[in-house]
Amino acid sequence: MTGEAIGLGAIAVVLLCSSLLVVLSKNLFHSVLWLAAALVATAGLFVLLHAEFLAAVQVLLYAGGVVTIVVFAIMLTERLAGQTIQQMNRGIAWGAVLAGAVFLGVGAVVVRAPTAPGRASAAFGNTAALGQALLTDWVLPFEVLGVLFVAALLGALYLARVDE
Amino acid sequence: MTETGLALAILAAPFGAALLLGCCPPIRRAGLPAAVVSLVGSGAALVMAVGLVSWLWRGALYAAEARVGPVYGLITGLIATVPWLPQTGAAPLATFGVFVDPLSAAMATLVALVAFLVQLYSLGYLAGEAPGALGRYYFYQSLFAFSMLGLVFAPDFLQMFIFWELVGLCSYLLIGFYYQRPAAAAAAVKAFWVTKLGDVGFMIGIVLLWGKTGTFEFLPLFRVAGQGALDAGYFALCMGLIYLGAIGKSAQFPLHVWLPDAMEGPTPVSALIHAATMVAAGVYLVARTYPLFLAVPDVLTGIAWIGAFTALLAATLALVQTDIKRVLAYSTVSQLGYMMAALGAGAPLAGFFHLVTHGFFKGLLFLAAGAVIHAVATNDMFQMGRLGGAMPKTATVFVVGALALAGIPPLSGFFSKEAVLAGVWRAGLSVPFLMLALTVLLTAFYMFRAIFLTFYGSRRAAGHPHDPPAVMLGPLWVLAFASVGASVLGTEWPRLTFAQFVARDLGASLPHGPGWLMPLSVGLAVAGILAAWAVYQREALSTAAVIAVLGPLVRAVERGYGFDAAYAAVYRAVLLGGARVVGWIDRYLVDGVVNVASAWTLRAGSGLRAIQTGRAQDYLYGVTAGLLLLLVIWAWA
Amino acid sequence: MLKAYLLVAAAVFSIGLFGVLTRRNAIGILLGIELMLNAVNINLVAFARYGGSMAGWVLALFTIAITVAEVAVGLAIVIVIFRVRRTVEADHLTLLRG
Repeated sequence: MTGEAIGLGAIAVVLLCSSLLVVLSKNLFHSVLWLAAALVATAGLFVLLHAEFLAAVQVLLYAGGVVTIVVFAIMLTERLAGQTIQQMNRGIAWGAVLAGAVFLGVGAVVVRAPTAPGRASAAFGNTAALGQALLTDWVLPFEVLGVLFVAALLGALYLARVDE
Repeated sequence: MTETGLALAILAAPFGAALLLGCCPPIRRAGLPAAVVSLVGSGAALVMAVGLVSWLWRGALYAAEARVGPVYGLITGLIATVPWLPQTGAAPLATFGVFVDPLSAAMATLVALVAFLVQLYSLGYLAGEAPGALGRYYFYQSLFAFSMLGLVFAPDFLQMFIFWELVGLCSYLLIGFYYQRPAAAAAAVKAFWVTKLGDVGFMIGIVLLWGKTGTFEFLPLFRVAGQGALDAGYFALCMGLIYLGAIGKSAQFPLHVWLPDAMEGPTPVSALIHAATMVAAGVYLVARTYPLFLAVPDVLTGIAWIGAFTALLAATLALVQTDIKRVLAYSTVSQLGYMMAALGAGAPLAGFFHLVTHGFFKGLLFLAAGAVIHAVATNDMFQMGRLGGAMPKTATVFVVGALALAGIPPLSGFFSKEAVLAGVWRAGLSVPFLMLALTVLLTAFYMFRAIFLTFYGSRRAAGHPHDPPAVMLGPLWVLAFASVGASVLGTEWPRLTFAQFVARDLGASLPHGPGWLMPLSVGLAVAGILAAWAVYQREALSTAAVIAVLGPLVRAVERGYGFDAAYAAVYRAVLLGGARVVGWIDRYLVDGVVNVASAWTLRAGSGLRAIQTGRAQDYLYGVTAGLLLLLVIWAWA
Repeated sequence: MLKAYLLVAAAVFSIGLFGVLTRRNAIGILLGIELMLNAVNINLVAFARYGGSMAGWVLALFTIAITVAEVAVGLAIVIVIFRVRRTVEADHLTLLRG
C-alpha cells in the first residue's frame, strides 16, 4: 500500500461521511458545517493530487466564501427564530434508488473503461505553469469569467436589494 | 354555299338571336326589341330551311329514278363536322357539325315553321307582360329554337345528347316562366326530373355503345349495325337504354306524368314544345337512328307495344279532364304513342309523317285554345260555352284541327293515322292494333267533347269574349291551312312524293292497309264524334248516369291511375329515406369518429398534465432517469 | 489509482444528487448542488494528474469560480422568493404547474 493510497482512503472516508451528513442532517446549519468539512476534505484530496494551488483556492473560496454566503442566506430566510427543523422530502426511497443507480452506472463505466497508462506527469503542481496557461491558452475563457463575475455581482446585488 | 353550309346558317340564325339577347341586357329588358330580334332569327331560319328542303328536293327529283333498293345498310347524307375533342392516333372523340339529309331537312322545316308562328303568336298572347319578362321569354324561345335545330342536325350521338339536354333546359325555363307561381315552379322541376330519368338511360346507352364500337357518329354506327358485328344481347341493351331517353322525352308510359303538369307554362310554349317539337324529339331520335334499331327487332316490338299502350292510356285519361289544355296534353301523349307504335312496327315513314301532321294540327289546337283562354281568362271548360258565336274564326280553326286529329278525310291527320294503323296491322301486331283502333274512337270522343263544351252547348260563358287580334289569328290560319294542305304529302300524285323524298332514308313508301282499314278508322272517328254530340250537345245521355255505372273506373281515371301518387311515394321512400340514412351515418359515424378522436386527445392531454407539477425536483427526477437510460444504452450498444 | 479517485468522485456526486432530489428546503438543494460540483472538480484534477494535461487544472479553477458566482446569484434568488412568498420550501414553489 503506498502512502498515497492510505491517504486517499482516509480522506475518502472523511469526505463521504461528511457528504452524507450534509444531505441527511435535519438542521440546516449543521448541513452547512458538514459541507465545510467536506470541502476541506476535498482540498486534502487536491493536495494528494499534487494540486496545492487548487487546494488553497478550494479552501479559500469554497470553504470560506460559499459557506459564509450560505450561512447568511439561511439566517435571512428563517421564518421563526429557533425553528430550524425540517423533515426530508417525500420520496427518500426513490431518491436513494435513483442516486444509487447513477452511482452504479457511473461506477460501472469507470471500472470497465480500459486502463490507461496511469503514470503521473512530472512537472506538475507548478503554479507558475498554471498562471502561464491561464494567460496564454485559456485567456479567452479567463476574460469571459471576469464578465461572468461582473454579471453575477450585479445580479445578486439587484435581486437582493431592498425595495423602496 | 353548300347544303351543309346552309344547314349551319340555319343553326346560326337563332343562335345569334339568343346570343344577342343573352349577352345584351338592355335589348332584352326593353321587351319588344327582343321579340323582334327573336322573330328575325327564327324567320331567317325558316326561310333557309325551306330553301334547304327545296334544294334537296330538286336533287332527289333528278335522282329519283336511281333509287336504291333495300336502303338501311347505307343511309347517306352530307356531313360537315369540326373536331371538338381530339384523340391521338384515332378519329376525334367528339365532333360538332351537321348531318344534312331529307329527314333532318324536313324536321328542321317543321321546327322552324312552328317556332316562327308561335313567336309571332306570342306577341299577341303575352302583350300584357312586363317588358323584362317578355324579353326573357323571347330569349328562351330563341335558345330553344337553336337547341332543337341542333338536335335535328346532329351527326352523332354526343351532339344529339348535348342538344337533348339543352332542349330539356329550355323546356324547364319556359314551363317555369311564371316562376312566382308555385304550381309552375313545381311543374318545371317535375318535367326536368322525369325526363332526366330517361336521359340517364340515354347517356348510359350511348356510352356503352361507344365502349364496344369506339365511335359516337351515326354513319359509322349504321355500318357496324349493318354488318352485324355487334353481340345481339349487348346491342339490344344499348338500344333499349337509348330508347329510355325517348320514353322520357316523348312522354311514353311510364314517364308520361310530366306532360300534363307542363301545361302550367304559357300556351304558346305548350304549342311549340309540348306538342310539335320537343316531345317529338324522342320519335325523331328513333327515326334518325332507325338502322340501329332494325338490328334489334325485340326492342322495336317493345317500342310498338309501349306506344300503343300509351296511346290508349292517355286517351282514357283525356276523357275526364276539365282543363282544356290538359285534354290537349293527354291527346299529345296519345298521339306520340301512335308515332312510336308505327316506328316499332317497322313503318318509320308512317311515324314520321304522323309527327309532321301532328305538329301542324296539335300546334293549331293549342294556339286556338290559347286564344280561348286569353278571351275568357280561365282554362276550365265547364265555365265556357257558346263561344262559337262570339269567336267564330277561332271556333272554325279549332274544329279544323280537331277533325284532323280525329282522322277525318280529306284532312292530313286522316292520311297519317291511316298509315300508322296500316303499318301496325302489316307487322302482325294485333293487340297493339286493337288498342290503337279503340284509341281512334276515344280520340274523336274527347276532342269533340271539348269542342261542344267550349264552343257550343247550353251554358254561356261569362263576359264578352271575342276573336283574337290579327297577330294571333295569322298563325292560326297558317296552321289550319297546313293541316289541310299536308294531306298532299300523303298522296301519290306529286312527281316526287314525300315518301320518296324522305324514304331514301327510311323506307319504300307509306304503308297501305287492307281494304277495310279506311272505312274502319273513319267509321270509328265518326262514331266518336256522334257520341260526343249525343252526350254533350244533345245531352241525351246524362254524364251522371254513366259515372254511376262506371263509378270506380271513373274515379281511378280521374286520379290519373295513381301514377303521380306512386312516384311521390317512391321518391319519399327512396330519396328521403336514403337521405335520412346518410344523415345518420354522417352525424353518428363520421362525426363520431372525429368526436372520439378529439375526446381521446383531450383525455390524453389531461393525463399528461399530471407530469407538470411545477416542482423542480420532480423534473430533476426525469433528468436523472434520462441519464440512466443513456448510460444503459451506452453500456449495451 | 485513477479509478479510485474517480469512484470517490462518483460517490460524492451520487450523494449530492440524492440531496438535490430529496431535500425540501431550497438552500438544502443548493448544498446538494455544491457537492455535485465538488465531485466534478475532483474528477477534473484527477484526470489532469494522471493524464498529463493542464486542462483539468484550469477547468477545475474555472469551475470553482463559476460555482461561487452561481451560489451568490442563487441565494439572492432564494432571498427574493422568501421575501415575496415567505417560504423557501420547494414543494410550495409551483407557479410553473401545467
